[in-house]
Amino acid sequence: MRFVLMLPRIILGSLVLFAIGVMLYGVLMRYVVLPVTDWLNLDPPDFFWVEEVGEMALAWLTLLGAAIAVKERSHFALSLFVHRLPRGGQAVVHVAHNLIIAAFGGLTAWLGYQLVLLNITLTTPALEINMGWLYGCAVAGGILMLLYALDAARRPHDPDHSFADVRE
Amino acid sequence: MILLLTLVTFVILLVLSLPIVFALGASAVVGLLASGLPLQQLGSTLVTASQNWVLLAIPSFVFAGSLMERAGMSTSLVELARAMVGWLRGGLGMSVIVVSYFFSDICGSKMAEVSALGSALMPSLKKAGYRPEDGASLIAAGTAMGMLVPPAIFMIVISEVTNQSAVALFLAGFIPAGIIGACLCLVVLAQAHILGWPRDTRASLSRLLLALKNAAVPLVIPFVILGGFYMGAFTATEAGAIVALYAFIAAKFYYRNVSWSEVFELSYQAGVLTGVVIYLLAVATIFQYLLGISGAPEFFGHLLAPLEGERWLFLTGVAVMTLLFGMVLEGLPAAVVLIPVVFPIATKIGVHPVHFDIVQTAAVGIGLFTPPLGVGLLMALRFADISVGQHVRAYVPYLLALLAGLMLIICVPEFSLFLPRSAGLIR
Repeated sequence: MRFVLMLPRIILGSLVLFAIGVMLYGVLMRYVVLPVTDWLNLDPPDFFWVEEVGEMALAWLTLLGAAIAVKERSHFALSLFVHRLPRGGQAVVHVAHNLIIAAFGGLTAWLGYQLVLLNITLTTPALEINMGWLYGCAVAGGILMLLYALDAARRPHDPDHSFADVRE
Repeated sequence: MILLLTLVTFVILLVLSLPIVFALGASAVVGLLASGLPLQQLGSTLVTASQNWVLLAIPSFVFAGSLMERAGMSTSLVELARAMVGWLRGGLGMSVIVVSYFFSDICGSKMAEVSALGSALMPSLKKAGYRPEDGASLIAAGTAMGMLVPPAIFMIVISEVTNQSAVALFLAGFIPAGIIGACLCLVVLAQAHILGWPRDTRASLSRLLLALKNAAVPLVIPFVILGGFYMGAFTATEAGAIVALYAFIAAKFYYRNVSWSEVFELSYQAGVLTGVVIYLLAVATIFQYLLGISGAPEFFGHLLAPLEGERWLFLTGVAVMTLLFGMVLEGLPAAVVLIPVVFPIATKIGVHPVHFDIVQTAAVGIGLFTPPLGVGLLMALRFADISVGQHVRAYVPYLLALLAGLMLIICVPEFSLFLPRSAGLIR
């Protein structure tokens, strides 16, 4: 169970390192290998997929990162008066926040699923990856956001799950 | 009507402290439903807006910055700055400004920068006899100026929002940051004489060389970025990857003080921050689309019409709006909500897009450190352990220096345009 809970964290960290690795591969090919093959009159290396994979990794990074940021309370919020409300009032606002976020996550996942169905017959130009994988990030990120927000909504009195005091 | 409904929903949710991105998202859903547009647009925009090659520079710069900070490179920069200017009256104060300039280069996030500089400099400032409010002012003003020193996440985002080259914008930032830095140094010099700030003993040549040697590793980065961009050698995204690799090698094999698990933890944190930033940009795209079709640009056009006669007046008006937005909402949300609406008016009256972006970047930087709400300022005050009320009087000269620097950047477009133009990136 602990591993399952850690999984999004592991995937997100690995995605960052993977994306940087892919970009470095592109840099190496473009600035080192390509001039050498040019000079030796050999076939140029094929690295046009780098952009495709990098962009897809970023889409996954964004949607998963945004969901995890709900759990980590890392999204920007404005703190005006909610933190001065009585405990009960704060709890109500807290539950309402997380229900709105859960609904937004659910909507994203559902819309993402429609897009997966719509694009499942298409492939990317370089590596011919099924486009369903690209839009799958909205499904995965949406579901994760829904789960994290519902989990936070269950604990209205836990100060670690409130957005209101982010700026304090 | 739709505009009103969308904006009212946004403001209510914002005031109730719902994270800004969800306030934007929820009001966009309300707006889409009210105008009878398909919700599907939301799903596809979220994915396509985040699938972007230029924005891929963000995770690598954030990762590189936090890795270098963890390896302790800020300390060596502080030592170098002290050795260089510490012997002047108020030299330690000036070294805060100098360090902010160079440190901004390696640190992607303003909050990380305030916390790194606050913890590295505040004890030395206090020990040298600076009042806590002066220490906080120096760190806040220096970091606000550092907003213009690349690679800033904000610059990558604003280049995307206004469809400009991120590299051109990076190059454009160096001189304006120097101009604001010079204004701040003048204030420090004056304050030092008025308040009798101490001076360090003059550093011996060997101490200066030792400090330079220790700071050489982080100092390579601004030169690589400036030189590489100036010669058109690589794109912002490629520079991000190269800087990340450099930071990794420096931390792992030169400083040898960052474990593998810390490297992974930092990559995870870079992932979360990337998610926050790009998701905000993606959600705001739908919000902007709604504002666009419901007449917000025309509304702002009318509002700013009296200022359109003079470019500097227009830029000042917009900069004040951005500054206030940046103070209340933080920089990035301000950029994605306000700037796309006013940008077309700026280009229409002949303001150069890169000049516009640099002015807005400077304004957002100052906004983050403007009392009473600027979130960067609040963080700097936390390190000094004082309240906004205790601090504000001491901060006024610095705030005025920042604003004077901003006005200089507004009135002299060449400060922003000289470097990218001579590199052939803009006309």
